[in-house]
Amino acid sequence: MTNVLWLQGGACSGNTMSFLNAEEPTVCDLISDFGINVLWHPSLGLELGENLQGMLWNCVLGKIPVDILVFEGTVVNAPNGTGEWNRFAHRPMKNWVSDLAKVAKYVVAIGDCATWGGIPAMAPNPSESQGLQFLKRQKGGFLGVDYRSKAGLPVINIPGCPAHPDWITQILVAIATGRIGDITLDEFHRPQTFFKTFTQTGCTRNIHFAYKATTAEFGQRKGCLFYDLGCRGPMTHSSCNRILWNRVSSKTRAGMPCLGCTEPEFPFFDLKPGTVFKTQTVMGVPKELPPGVKQKDYALLTVVAKDAAPAWADEDFFLV
Amino acid sequence: MGTQTLDISPVGRVEGDLDVRVEIEDGHVVNAWTHAELFRGFEVILRGKDPQAGLIVTPRICGICGGSHLTCASWALDTAWETEVPRNAILARNLGQIVETIQSIPRYFYGLFAIDLTNKKYQNSRYYNEAVRRFAAFTGKHYEIGVTISAKPVEIYALLGGQWPHSSYMVPGGVMCAPTLTDITRAWSILEYFRTNWLEPVWLGCSLERYEQIQTYDDFMAWLHENRNHRQSDLGFYWRMGLDIGLDKFGGGVGKYVTWGYLPHEDKYQKPTIESRNAAMIMKSGVYDSYSDTHTLMDHTFARENTTNSWYDEGTADVHPFDRTTNPIAKNHKDFNGAYSWSSAVRHIEYGRLEAGPLARQLVAGGTHGESWQHYDGFILDVFKRMGGPSVHVRQFARVHEIVKLYRQAERCLREFKLNEPWYIKPKQKDGRGWGATEAARGSLCHWVELEDGKIKNYQVIAPTTWNVGPRDAEQKRGPIEEALVGIPVADPADPIEVGHVARSFDSCLVCTVHAHDAKTGEELARFRTA
Repeated sequence: MTNVLWLQGGACSGNTMSFLNAEEPTVCDLISDFGINVLWHPSLGLELGENLQGMLWNCVLGKIPVDILVFEGTVVNAPNGTGEWNRFAHRPMKNWVSDLAKVAKYVVAIGDCATWGGIPAMAPNPSESQGLQFLKRQKGGFLGVDYRSKAGLPVINIPGCPAHPDWITQILVAIATGRIGDITLDEFHRPQTFFKTFTQTGCTRNIHFAYKATTAEFGQRKGCLFYDLGCRGPMTHSSCNRILWNRVSSKTRAGMPCLGCTEPEFPFFDLKPGTVFKTQTVMGVPKELPPGVKQKDYALLTVVAKDAAPAWADEDFFLV
Repeated sequence: MGTQTLDISPVGRVEGDLDVRVEIEDGHVVNAWTHAELFRGFEVILRGKDPQAGLIVTPRICGICGGSHLTCASWALDTAWETEVPRNAILARNLGQIVETIQSIPRYFYGLFAIDLTNKKYQNSRYYNEAVRRFAAFTGKHYEIGVTISAKPVEIYALLGGQWPHSSYMVPGGVMCAPTLTDITRAWSILEYFRTNWLEPVWLGCSLERYEQIQTYDDFMAWLHENRNHRQSDLGFYWRMGLDIGLDKFGGGVGKYVTWGYLPHEDKYQKPTIESRNAAMIMKSGVYDSYSDTHTLMDHTFARENTTNSWYDEGTADVHPFDRTTNPIAKNHKDFNGAYSWSSAVRHIEYGRLEAGPLARQLVAGGTHGESWQHYDGFILDVFKRMGGPSVHVRQFARVHEIVKLYRQAERCLREFKLNEPWYIKPKQKDGRGWGATEAARGSLCHWVELEDGKIKNYQVIAPTTWNVGPRDAEQKRGPIEEALVGIPVADPADPIEVGHVARSFDSCLVCTVHAHDAKTGEELARFRTA
């Protein structure tokens, strides 16, 4: 049996809602088929009041083993490092996190808030929010650079706003079934199995990307969203287009530019005026290109691609 | 019997961070305070950002109602920019919002509410064993079906917006998607799956058509006794058990109700303005005052916020949301004679404190105010009157009643789409003020935006939970949940399940923490039960 304790700090419950969409396995399957025991969860937990406080203290004191501490939401430090702006069960939540991180075998940060700080940590970050082991791209976060859980791993980061349910359940199952050794983490502690490829991988608009055929306006069935609408699919690490969302689609397939929500900088450019759903360009060329692509090569490629583009690349592609 | 002291912290299964302080005498709550315990400062974050930042940021205020926030954010910009929104886009926004709420109903009922029917307090009820079989957390037969099926409706949201939660597919001027026949057919099929695998066989025990014949309390009673399938459906079973365990006996509240109206009509609101909104909603807006049994229209100009008892340095006057400045105070000590919550106290300028939520929507739906073509449904209003007013049971019943209506509205959207017509008309950015409103599953939601020099000058949100969990106002009047807690029985101070029932019947987006205090001295007593 694997004990899971799930807590929320500066959260919106989006990752919990995403988790509840899981289908293979479902949340109930985790319990019945994979030996996971949810000690408590803010939306699903049974215990209330003193029963929960007792359980939390027993976890802190080591009387109840915490195999996996799942944290959703930011660690709120406001005001002035006290954490009093996010109190839970009579204490600042950050104090619970501090204590529980010391006894947990594994710590899993779910969603952008818990990994990088997410939207609450956006300037001016009124809640003095941090992620568990990062603040945006900066290492350290609330638990510090050197933090290791009892199993010897840093915080396992499952970013995304929200995280995809498969990313969550598959990591929980990997731990519960002794396969966590198969998982390699990248420099941002993300499991590479989900975050090595780009969001663009599997996008149905890839062919438009190849021919530089743009979607200049919303509500179109044709074109690539990268050139005008600020899509970050080519620069963002995620498996959104390989495994799909809610089993049926992805943002880019549906016509919404990828916001790059699995990367520490989300939301990019701090949503300054003129940066939302607009590609940032220099003399007509996107400022940011897929990693490893050189500006000069890109310019050359553009000329060739546009030249080679067939007429249908500019027509309504996915017809009614 | 003296004062009992207990401490329930937290109640859980309501989203977010909320404390509730109750004073208990002779086994009953005699006073209550609700205080929100989390501040993230989204209004502060949005200042100075891109006008469209709200489309990305506000769904992240609440991952449960993200689609509803997106709806408000879009309509707020539409009114500020004076856009034109094509009918397909209005339908696509409505459909997204509808499926989010249809998702929320089983997720709320099984995941958050019905688990408490398996509490040991009810072991002497003749329904108890069956409740455990059906509703036990994770392992209950219907818990598993209900939680799993709740993931299906939002697959339709994903067909439109790529994912649920947290898509930003609604934008001023329309939507980002342009669905194809494949998407529409899949959406139909998902709806059908939901209906034939849960809604009819498990939830209703009858066809949608049979359920739709119920117009009054008496019709419902006739339906309940008509056959075994109806009685044994989760709806029929819940109705019977709820009465058996007395959920109709407590948890009333303020007795006045608000809804902004929702689901704009695709032909009547293509050039949206703040002023023309009321006359263009399929589900009409309104305030229902149960004391005088009157209905009136609701409008954003009636809304006021008060922060006298909140952790903001914004004075003690009632202000319209456009005039709020969101100045948090650093030291958020709990002062029950002063500030004790991050929530503001929301008021109607004439009616005072109002309850928001599904009960409010259904009570207003029973009014004959508004336009003649707008949706009318007198069922819950009749139940409310026949049962002598509000309670946990009536509120809970209203929460689940909406599902068949919304199912039909979802079908209507799918029928009305004209796939080869536009989904988006590019608007021109401009400065100004905008207002967007809708109904999230759990109640009235509004966004106010003010744009100046091409950026956000002020962004204000009033969520359903702000109405319901707000602290005392300048007149020291209690908020709706505070009021609903007063008078409730607490049978077992070690397990005050009744407080949980009340908190969860409001389906607040906050995690409740309940402190018990000595009714005579007002001091917080021992952390652990001493009685």
